[in-house]
Amino acid sequence: MTQLKMGEMWAVVKEKYSIFLVLLTLFFVCSLTNPNFLSINNLSNISRQLSVTTILAFGETILIISGMIDLSAGSVLALSGVLAVSAFKATGSLTLAFTVGVVTGVVCSLINALMITDLRVPPFIATLAMQTMARGAALLYTKGQNILQLGRFVIFGQGSIQGLPIPIVFLAVIFAVTWYVLRHTRFGRSLYAIGGNEEAAVASGINVRLVKYKAFLFNGVLVGIAGVLFMSRVNAGLPNGAINFEFQALTAAIIGGTSFSGGIGTAAGTLAGAFIVGFLDNIMNLTGVDSYVQQIVRGAIIALAVIYDIWAKVRRRTRRTLGASKGQAP
Amino acid sequence: MISKKLALVVTLVLLVSFFVCGSAAAADKFRIAYVARAQADSFAAWLANAVKAEAAKYPDVTLDVFDGEANDEKENAMIENAITNKYDCIIVQPNNGEAQRPYVEKVVEAGIIAITTNARISGIAGSSTVDADPYMQAKVNCGLAVSQVPQNAKVVVLNGPPGNFHADERRRAWGREFFEKRPDVTIVGEQIANWNKDEAMKFMEDWVQSNSVIDAVVSMNDNMCAGALEVVKGNPKFDKLLAYGVDGTAEAVLLIQEGRMTATCMQSAYDLAELLMSTANKLLTKQEKQIDTDIGNPLITKDNVEKFVEILKAAGAL
Repeated sequence: MTQLKMGEMWAVVKEKYSIFLVLLTLFFVCSLTNPNFLSINNLSNISRQLSVTTILAFGETILIISGMIDLSAGSVLALSGVLAVSAFKATGSLTLAFTVGVVTGVVCSLINALMITDLRVPPFIATLAMQTMARGAALLYTKGQNILQLGRFVIFGQGSIQGLPIPIVFLAVIFAVTWYVLRHTRFGRSLYAIGGNEEAAVASGINVRLVKYKAFLFNGVLVGIAGVLFMSRVNAGLPNGAINFEFQALTAAIIGGTSFSGGIGTAAGTLAGAFIVGFLDNIMNLTGVDSYVQQIVRGAIIALAVIYDIWAKVRRRTRRTLGASKGQAP
Repeated sequence: MISKKLALVVTLVLLVSFFVCGSAAAADKFRIAYVARAQADSFAAWLANAVKAEAAKYPDVTLDVFDGEANDEKENAMIENAITNKYDCIIVQPNNGEAQRPYVEKVVEAGIIAITTNARISGIAGSSTVDADPYMQAKVNCGLAVSQVPQNAKVVVLNGPPGNFHADERRRAWGREFFEKRPDVTIVGEQIANWNKDEAMKFMEDWVQSNSVIDAVVSMNDNMCAGALEVVKGNPKFDKLLAYGVDGTAEAVLLIQEGRMTATCMQSAYDLAELLMSTANKLLTKQEKQIDTDIGNPLITKDNVEKFVEILKAAGAL
């Protein structure tokens, strides 16, 4: 009896927390592989390096859970960032620059929402179109040239509060907000419902259109913040920066257990997914692994994560079917 | 029904306006198509802007710029479209020389003047080339580094995209002209940062953790070099860090002026643009049949940086 309970508990732990077990194991292996890995500076570096793409990943998680996606995140980030930098150069106001960055992210994201919800364009196509438009706008605005000499603007990406780097503070706050939204709000529950079965969500009275707009609004705010942090970190307005960042963000979300078919995913899982990639990249650099090998390893991890996702889904379905047939037995 | 009619009318108006604009622009002027590698690449964008500005100085020339978006398929299609549109001269800045070679050969076969630039595609009879020599650009840095880099130094190397002619040639020059001449030097980190500042920052942040000493940064372009320097900014441990790049971007010139970067080789987009347009002009007016030429490779250090600051200021880049 006790053995059965232990087995059941282990199954629950494996299903719910396997990603954190992987993260812990990786952390342990990395700390044994290179003594520099565990230093405070290195761990702080990893968090800073991950902050921008992880913030994007939280936005992607929200969208994927509700059955959507944003392929324009990297390009909108670049547009938000260069406009924020320009606003700062023109006025010297950090508040205005930050606002411009966030508003740009929100506007682009709401255009995505409009195309998807009202004009019925598939999310993949709508955000792909926005990817091209936003990148074009950033290049047109800057004539393809980097904006230099940012002065105080670098505080967002390079400053610290009580010794804690500001990008990490942003990352922590955004993680907490995303976690709360997904776990404890009606909006969060609606996202899961829509992603799980949109027709059922409509039938149960959820305003799907409004929820999708809110999801893109949330994503837009995150992309705008990421734009400001990124440009500030690199101390330049880079119109060609953050290329393919949306894929890095998607990688973190998928490795973290967010299911591409919608309805499944957590903020903590995405954070763990981002750190798995970050730890791997970091340890490979610390130990001098060749660039080409690094790409193979990264690709293999994505493939493994998706294979695991499919395998877990099949197992869940089988267990549910078995459970149902047991319940029906006389 | 109304919307269908409206769509039809709009389509017709657009088509007519395209034809009218196209034919009006063609009258009595040489038409040049400039097919850029990728406007998202800051040097390529700088070069495209410089070529446009230079073309404006030639009253008998109209120039159209096309963006290959760092995609071989797209760039090749644009070259084919330019042939179909019967441009008098097509300038190609290849994304990948070997991928664009057959299409530049098509330009020559069509009897259209072909020029390849940054990087040149060599060995096409009838096609001209205007370029900078990437090997020499790195070599001028190596000459300085051989004497500056301390004995038994530890260095990190930042590479451009593999397969890119300029990235590969610059790295080859560093191998032959520096690392072979200085066997005492150890490479403690070498990665591909794809010309990008942010990718270079990430690598440098990791290298700083795993190495107590880094004496020099050897970078195949200025963007990556600036990224590495951003990481150690304000860190007294790296006050004597030597840093070498290529391109002579505004950011690099400012870093040299501040004393944070050691040297870069100027790959001047203005010089390239000037030489490109004068070459095109000579070929279009039949003064010459084929031209293969290079711009110079001036080295920028703290001793002569002020001159380049003034040049960039005059060009509006600073």
